[in-house]
Amino acid sequence: MSDVTFLSVTRSEWIKFRSVRSTVLGVIIFVVLTVGLSVLITTLIHAHWNQMGALDRLTFDPVSTSLGGISLAQFAVGVTGSLFITTEYSSGGIRSTLTAVPQRRRVVAAKLAILSGVMIVLSEIVCFVAFLIGQAVFSGMIPASTDTLSNSSDLRAVILGGVYLTMLAALGFALGLILRQSPATISTFTGLVLLVPLIIFFLPTSIQDTLTRYEPSALGRAMTATTPPDLTFGPWIATGVLALYVAVVLAVGTELFARRDA
Amino acid sequence: MLAIDHLTKRYGSTLAVDDLSFDVRPGVVTGFLGPNGSGKSTTMRIILGLDHPDKGSASIDGRPFAELGSPLREVGALLDAKAAHPGRSARNHLRALAASNQIAASRVDEVLAFAGITAVADKKVGQFSMGMCQRLGIAAAMLGDPAVLMFDEPVNGLDPEGIRWIRESFRTLADEGRTVFVSSHLMSEMALTADEIVVIGKGHFITKGTVDDLTATVHGTVFVRASDPTALAAALAARRGVATPINDGGLSVSGLTSDEVGEAAFAAGVTVYELTPQRASLEEVFMELTADSVEYGGAKLEPHA
Repeated sequence: MSDVTFLSVTRSEWIKFRSVRSTVLGVIIFVVLTVGLSVLITTLIHAHWNQMGALDRLTFDPVSTSLGGISLAQFAVGVTGSLFITTEYSSGGIRSTLTAVPQRRRVVAAKLAILSGVMIVLSEIVCFVAFLIGQAVFSGMIPASTDTLSNSSDLRAVILGGVYLTMLAALGFALGLILRQSPATISTFTGLVLLVPLIIFFLPTSIQDTLTRYEPSALGRAMTATTPPDLTFGPWIATGVLALYVAVVLAVGTELFARRDA
Repeated sequence: MLAIDHLTKRYGSTLAVDDLSFDVRPGVVTGFLGPNGSGKSTTMRIILGLDHPDKGSASIDGRPFAELGSPLREVGALLDAKAAHPGRSARNHLRALAASNQIAASRVDEVLAFAGITAVADKKVGQFSMGMCQRLGIAAAMLGDPAVLMFDEPVNGLDPEGIRWIRESFRTLADEGRTVFVSSHLMSEMALTADEIVVIGKGHFITKGTVDDLTATVHGTVFVRASDPTALAAALAARRGVATPINDGGLSVSGLTSDEVGEAAFAAGVTVYELTPQRASLEEVFMELTADSVEYGGAKLEPHA
């Protein structure tokens, strides 16, 4: 007989998630960035369409362009995921949490359920809104823009945009389980998404071309494109590779969380 | 009942707890006494499953903490450090804890009232004074109405009114048949609060007993005032007593009973004006017991010439 069930711990984590400013603010910033940048990017392209070269116009992907806000929003979701666990350590709240729920793997599962549940719902909504904004801005003026959600590659790009953001939130959380401190976790997350592409950029071209497709932000670009850009995986393989990364980091994080002194 | 069985815990090169064993029984307030850094908090953290011991075990009614079905209903704990997110209100902190163990939300209001922090329940914990944080910790410990309660340095930061309240609470909780285990580095506090005392130093078990037991283990001194202190001191020294002059003709004698001092004076032909056995205070007992095991001993500061 146990009163500490997955459901009860999840309810507890939900109270925690919505009762501090850091998580609520992180979520608001991510929504505003994704939608706001979609408006900004699409209207700028709309205004400069006539100055764009023929090749640019030909390869223009209106769907991934309208989802351009993801490139910044990914940091907001990563930070939100990180802080959901690291603030427990910085505040000492982890001691309360674990004396109420000594089953540590259950704590991880419940936190992950709340984080990814909130993130998948919000990021899907946000990606669809961003897509619709793009459609509204581009409609009638861009010949190539015949995109609708009934087009399967468009629908896929929009849905995977939300999946990408959710997986990055989980990645931030998993790094937080390992590193436990907010600054270390956030800088590692930022390094993975922002610096790894830069480092790869400085490698010899042959290696660069092989490695680029494996770095997280390239996986994100592959997932949100209607037709995969050069040197990236197809959208489904990219999703699988990213899921594998997240799963590995989560597994290591959970194991350390369960074994280490709190 | 709490049982600590051959517990050993090492942090890097520091041996925090060294083969520690003792039991804490219900119905009394048990003090857990030791100098700073003697391993009190570590022991409590191990009991709560927060830290893993290198050797030995701790159990609550025969079961390790991790196997308790409803931890908050079985063990309530106030730890020495902060244990709540500064950006969360006291009420939400307690609500989240209650939810995890399926404790009714109405219980949150009860423990807030018990701890006297209902008025600030919706304030962020970050704005709390140390005393209010302690009260929040005590409220959290009481959430599940547990039979075992552990408090690490509970009087830290409390005002005199709060200290009296918490002492009375310990008494009431113990009288209700609960196990009440309270740590402190202050002997004087323990003398007022605890029925039984477990003394540790540098992670070692030193002794366990009632306040009376402990004071009896250390021989007190004898105060004697006599007509010829020099002759008396010599006579006492011959009987292996150590006499220290304290004030006009008075000697503080250690190593001998008052009977032996009286007999020595009589044999030396010295007139005794005053002869009083001085019982060792609990503070002195503590100092003597832990003298070799003070982790952070301070040197005397010499006046600058």
